[in-house]
Amino acid sequence: MLSRDEVLKIAKLARLTLTEEEIAFYQKQLTRVLGHIQDLNQVPTSNETFVQHVPLDAEPFREDKAEPFANHEGLMGNAPAVENNCFLLPTIVEHS
Amino acid sequence: MEFGTQTIEALLSGYQKKEFKPSEVIGAYLENISARDKKLNSFLQVRAEETMAKAKALDGKMGEAVNLPLFGIPIAVKDNFLVEGWQATAGSKVLSGYVSPYTATSVKKLQEMGAVIVGKVNCDEFAMGSSNENSAYGPVRNPWDLERVPGGSSGGSSAAVAAGLAAVSLGTDTGGSIRQPASLCGLVGLKPSYGRVSRYGIVAYASSLDQVGPFSKTVWDSARVLEVMAGFDNRDATTSKRPVPRYTEELKSNSKRAFTLGISRSWLEGVDPDVAKSFEAALEAFKKLGGKIVEIDLPHTKYSLSTYYLIAPSEASSNLARYDGVHYGYRTQNAKSSEELYSRSRGEGIGREVKLRIMLGTYALSAGYYDAFYLKANQVRKKIQEDFEKAFTQCDFVATPTSPSTAFKLGEKTDDPLKMYLSDIFTLPVNLAGLPGLSIPCGLDSKNLPIGLQLIGKPFGESDLFAAAHSYEQVRGVFPLPSIAKGKG
Amino acid sequence: MSEVEKYEAVIGLEVHAQLMTASKMFCRCPNQFGSLPNTNVCPVCTGQPGSLPVINKKAVELGVRAATALNCEIHSESVFARKNYFYPDLPKGYQISQYEKPYSTHGNITVRLKNGEEKRIGITRIHFEEDAGKSNHESYGTLVNLNRAGVPLIEIVSEPDMRTAHEAGQYLRALHSILRYADICDGNMEEGNFRCDANISVRLRGAEKFGTKVELKNINSFKFVEKAIEYEVQRQVFAIENGEKIIQQTRSWNSAKNVTEVMREKEQAHDYRYFPDPDLPKLVISSSWLDQIKKEMPELPHQASLRFKQAFDLSDYDASVLTSSKELAQYFEKVVAQSKNGKSSANWVMNELLGRLNAAGKEIDSSPVSATQLAELIQKIDSGEISGKIAKTVFEEMFATSKDAGSIIKEKGLVQISDLGALEKAVLKVIESNPSQLADYKAGKVKLLGFFVGQAMKETKGQANPSLLNELVKKLLDR
Repeated sequence: MLSRDEVLKIAKLARLTLTEEEIAFYQKQLTRVLGHIQDLNQVPTSNETFVQHVPLDAEPFREDKAEPFANHEGLMGNAPAVENNCFLLPTIVEHS
Repeated sequence: MEFGTQTIEALLSGYQKKEFKPSEVIGAYLENISARDKKLNSFLQVRAEETMAKAKALDGKMGEAVNLPLFGIPIAVKDNFLVEGWQATAGSKVLSGYVSPYTATSVKKLQEMGAVIVGKVNCDEFAMGSSNENSAYGPVRNPWDLERVPGGSSGGSSAAVAAGLAAVSLGTDTGGSIRQPASLCGLVGLKPSYGRVSRYGIVAYASSLDQVGPFSKTVWDSARVLEVMAGFDNRDATTSKRPVPRYTEELKSNSKRAFTLGISRSWLEGVDPDVAKSFEAALEAFKKLGGKIVEIDLPHTKYSLSTYYLIAPSEASSNLARYDGVHYGYRTQNAKSSEELYSRSRGEGIGREVKLRIMLGTYALSAGYYDAFYLKANQVRKKIQEDFEKAFTQCDFVATPTSPSTAFKLGEKTDDPLKMYLSDIFTLPVNLAGLPGLSIPCGLDSKNLPIGLQLIGKPFGESDLFAAAHSYEQVRGVFPLPSIAKGKG
Repeated sequence: MSEVEKYEAVIGLEVHAQLMTASKMFCRCPNQFGSLPNTNVCPVCTGQPGSLPVINKKAVELGVRAATALNCEIHSESVFARKNYFYPDLPKGYQISQYEKPYSTHGNITVRLKNGEEKRIGITRIHFEEDAGKSNHESYGTLVNLNRAGVPLIEIVSEPDMRTAHEAGQYLRALHSILRYADICDGNMEEGNFRCDANISVRLRGAEKFGTKVELKNINSFKFVEKAIEYEVQRQVFAIENGEKIIQQTRSWNSAKNVTEVMREKEQAHDYRYFPDPDLPKLVISSSWLDQIKKEMPELPHQASLRFKQAFDLSDYDASVLTSSKELAQYFEKVVAQSKNGKSSANWVMNELLGRLNAAGKEIDSSPVSATQLAELIQKIDSGEISGKIAKTVFEEMFATSKDAGSIIKEKGLVQISDLGALEKAVLKVIESNPSQLADYKAGKVKLLGFFVGQAMKETKGQANPSLLNELVKKLLDR
């Protein structure tokens, strides 16, 4: 069973504030799902670290051509708070 | 003519013959939405005035534009697609009020070919769910029985077409989210091969699994939408450069081929008796067309649930990190630090099931667990891919029922996420293997609820898939519509 | 042995260099500096829902160029990975970078130290990443500008091979020079397109284990690099000598107080949850592409140095000084092209110009004397218009005022006197005024030739053509 501390640690990594009720719910459900997926241990697998899901004829590159995006108002229009055309966070952010 | 029950094929034919105009058709669909959607809750945004204006503009262009492949066709688009000027909530509170600054490539292509968007439709939050009960905007109800779910996550897309509120709709499928709701609502639902249709402009859930696809009443309609929508996009580095066939043309020329269907009996245990019966009947129909049924082995598909529920949440935990209340979306009030701003915005704005998957994914990728979880799951994924490769040396398609049951009641599975996940047991492996999968209605159960047959094709084998499904469709006959679609609420 | 000499520093540098492409790493926004906030952005670099990255081919080419120039092994397959963390200037909540499989590893660069020795510094790896936006912390909140988000970067990680601040400084200069020569990076530290972090630890000389390392950030000019590193090394040594433990932390250089200070109190280990980015295929660098990139490689500093040595008959040292920066090399070449005198040009640039520039704290591109002006001065010496000695005076004035040699010579009437008649007059005057020296000379004190030349030169206010004067004095004395 996943401990309460472990659940809180995951929640912190994922930046999710949880209510008491949620902590208990996630503790239970995460444990169940993680229990179920143990069946993968039955499958012998090689040491591959990269599994290709992208079609082999996909094109990863684009030419180095600048094409400015026209709808800047559209981008800024969804911002919760703007100041001098910058996104504004009304809190002090710790240096990182 | 009852426009709401028409196929794309019929509407296009009518336009060609000048029997009616786009404004008439679109107007009728908007009326249907207005009259019926209160019961269904499939639409999240309708812009009737703008839509009618576009339709009227098309009236004037009937001369030159009537040959456009989707001229005047009303489409509904799942709310996890970005369409410039329309909202895109992805069924979440976190994107409430978000107005799209650009349009998804797949939608743009349809618009350019004459399609008219009648609205954005409801879905499970961030496309995570199998019943459309995870939406922050209320559940969607199945047009066949309003007490039951339409399936998910593209529940709104499915219900809208089944109820005559759109001629075709777009959904996304990551683990079955087009095929399963199509099956539960009696529609044709297609998940194309991974890389066939651009994902640019789709709110990402699991990047290596997400695909865009249509809901329609017939196979021809599905083929028409795909041939317009598919193809290489230089804004999506995972799209294939393979040319797009003229699916509707190939449909006709391919129809007479006899196909070999592969069945894995062990895989089919635990399916509802009515579903099993209908499935067997469909297999018989294929045999009558000259097809063969062979037994195949897919030994690793039993690990699909575990594989999927490690890979998808892991990718999702990263894809959803951007919903932090900084640049767009829901922001909590009165946060006293940046950490609080992030955590409370996300905690308050994101729903229960999505948070569960984010946590699962965060855990699976975290230090010390990556090898045992995410990496291991990808290695098993490869085995599942290989199982199908091997099977395709013996058959043209793998056939399964799309869903082990028909539409269940609202609230029946919401307390048990794991139980809900099992709805997708036949659809999950198809996404894991990147294959095309098509669900076609094959019967009704004792409660008059639709049952779907799933055909899984070879990579980029949509042409054959359409051909086989079309042949079956011809012998099955026209599939009924729910009474609500016929204007009898 | 002093305290400091008991210890040796172990220094590794991480450089982030912005690549000179027309557009950003994964989107079509222009790659340019200085636009109004959030005007150089699009759905991709602002992390809008539904946006996807596509790799800038030119960025990869430039990165491969850099790796080639730094003698790295280039891997035919590498993987873009997501580095997941939350920060306001990181709109997607992850940075697309490379982790387990970078595109290049195991390189090296040879640097020249002030004692003339050469040292080879290892390069652990170079990988691609995208830059983040910028956050400005005001009293009322944080302002985020995403113009810089998505700009292509290469991160060059050195082995911890440097042992002194000087070595670190030379490594940086050599690296900077290569990136500029090969048109990979603009190298403008003030604009932030060439950024350096240092990892510094100390240990007793001869010890095998590394000490606890401290990360030093915010070194944003060449001037501060050596100062900051030296300060930090000393700080650690004195701390250890005082029985203190070195805390693993991140510090920054305070250029006002000339000290390093703690940036982050506790070094929180980040769990970045790296995994291959599912939106991107593997990065494949084929051998044919690699060959093409190698073929198109611009001239590198060591190649330019060799070329200068051969073309202008310079010493190793002179050639390396003149090619130490692309700007300087270009300046020098311009001077030579016009003056047609390699040796003289080298001499003037190295001995007269560079010294003055250093003293004034200027770089070659803000030299008060242009290449054309210097070339003209050299031409005037070679044509005999002025003497070499006078030229030095003229140059002093040119450096102070940026005026042409011609104008200064005219203003000060410094034209060299080569007219034999005038010179003869001067010499005869001097001979007449110094009868006893003349007698001594005639008696055998030939050394007094210098005296007469000196006096004659004075008589002409230093403007006499020295060699002509010399000859004339001798001739007239021997008459």
